[in-house]
Amino acid sequence: MNVADLTLQADVAHWSWTIAIFLWFVGIAGMGSVAYYFSRKAPLAITILVSLIVGLLFVVSHLTRWWNLPVTIFYAVLELSFNFQSWMFWGFAILSVHLVLSAVVVVANIPYLQRFWFLRWAAVLNKSNLFLGLFAFAGFGSTVYSGFLLSTAAGVPLWNTALIPVLWVISASVATVALIELFYVLGWTDEREAAFGLRLGMGLDVMKLLAVLAFIHISLTVGTMGAQIGAARMFSGDLALMTWIGVIGIGIFVPLAIGGLSLLIGKKKPLLIVSSVAALAGVLFLRAVVLLAGVWEPLVI
Amino acid sequence: MRLRRGQEPTRRLAHVWNEANCTACGACIIACTATNAPEMMHRKEKGWDSLASNIRRIESQNAQGQPTMMLNQCQHCEDAPCVHTCPFGAVHYTTDGLVDIDERLCIGCSYCVAACPYNVRWMHPETGLPNKCMGSACLELVAANQQPACVQACPANARDFGDLNDPSSSVSQTLRRLPNRVLLETAGTKPKYFIVESSS
Ligand code: SF4
Ligand code: SF4
Ligand code: SF4
Repeated sequence: MNVADLTLQADVAHWSWTIAIFLWFVGIAGMGSVAYYFSRKAPLAITILVSLIVGLLFVVSHLTRWWNLPVTIFYAVLELSFNFQSWMFWGFAILSVHLVLSAVVVVANIPYLQRFWFLRWAAVLNKSNLFLGLFAFAGFGSTVYSGFLLSTAAGVPLWNTALIPVLWVISASVATVALIELFYVLGWTDEREAAFGLRLGMGLDVMKLLAVLAFIHISLTVGTMGAQIGAARMFSGDLALMTWIGVIGIGIFVPLAIGGLSLLIGKKKPLLIVSSVAALAGVLFLRAVVLLAGVWEPLVI
Repeated sequence: MRLRRGQEPTRRLAHVWNEANCTACGACIIACTATNAPEMMHRKEKGWDSLASNIRRIESQNAQGQPTMMLNQCQHCEDAPCVHTCPFGAVHYTTDGLVDIDERLCIGCSYCVAACPYNVRWMHPETGLPNKCMGSACLELVAANQQPACVQACPANARDFGDLNDPSSSVSQTLRRLPNRVLLETAGTKPKYFIVESSS
């Protein structure tokens, strides 16, 4: 088999860094919304909304016919041509709902806006467990969607595994915990949440490590030839540096080591900054390396 | 015409490529671009590193180290992942058994590109559309009861196109008579691009 005959997906479908950044922001906003159910703080609410908006800007910039969106939606409504089988369609639906709910939560968290009587309903909703449960559910749905988006892209066998949504949920949770640690450093959240986040983050790091290794191992051993080639690129090929240094070294071992040290000697803010930034970068590297490693099934063997 | 839900296609149009007859001259590849996307003549599809055509030439080696060549294109799958994944239903089956695109409903998300196991789509740099066989000019030829450009251009009679539902069509007869295969049969896409393996 001549590997040079394969076409890397990124070259034709252009699913590389732009989509990785989109998936990263959606993950932060998604699992951030789940965290918001427990930690109802304004900085988290604003981060969720900003992440969603920036993520959506990235994905819209990737559309080669973004200017056709209004026309498409007009005709799709007129002719009821929506494709309910498509995760991309569900993504549009889930992200739209998530965006609206995020905006409500932000309005409720900005005291200036709460002076306007016609916006006070937002504060009422923000106190409702049912509403915040729905918000958390939309966030979880956004994160899961961003995984199934790849799982159902049948052309790239490396992605065709239900492990990707699992990996995305775990790693997005890591990113959310890293954000909460950063908020602690900035004085935006309290000691109790930071201490809980530290322990939770370490557990999630271990789960993420296992999930990444399982993903590579399964693809290498029982995947089709296209999946094996993609996993080999991650494991020992041209993308191995990004996997071992970016995803595992920076993204998992640095936060784990700093977490362990913090448990021994207490939390040091400079170290927490390093560990949070490393964890956030690792989550982005993970999405990028999985996207970049995808190749099509070889047609000629 | 767009196939409605629950409707059966009236025809099952399919492509046949006879690899034994093919001399690898590339006339079909050029005819395809010249007919369907003349503005792309002399321009490469970056990912494939070859002429932006709806037919892609894949060169490789067999187990004995001898060079091999295969022509690849849209298989007009009867269970097409590109149809399943397009969010607003731009990609659809036609009553002729082809897979076509409704440009009005396409936002250029390239999900159909990543969903095609055969890697046959390419994003047009100007229209942003995910191009593939059949191009609109070939569809017009077929509507006028002519053969598509690649079939007309082939000097070795290595290409054919016709209705699998019609037992007397040349494609049906060839496929009955000569050994043939489809690509990635186990992918479950029910492809309709047949590679004939011996000389006719
Ligand atoms: S039928 Fe037309 S579009 Fe399809 S490969 Fe032949 S020339 Fe190209
Ligand atoms: S070959 Fe690819 S583009 Fe053509 S119908 Fe099948 S999945 Fe769709
Ligand atoms: S690029 Fe166009 S045709 Fe392809 S999936 Fe996206 S909207 Fe559908």
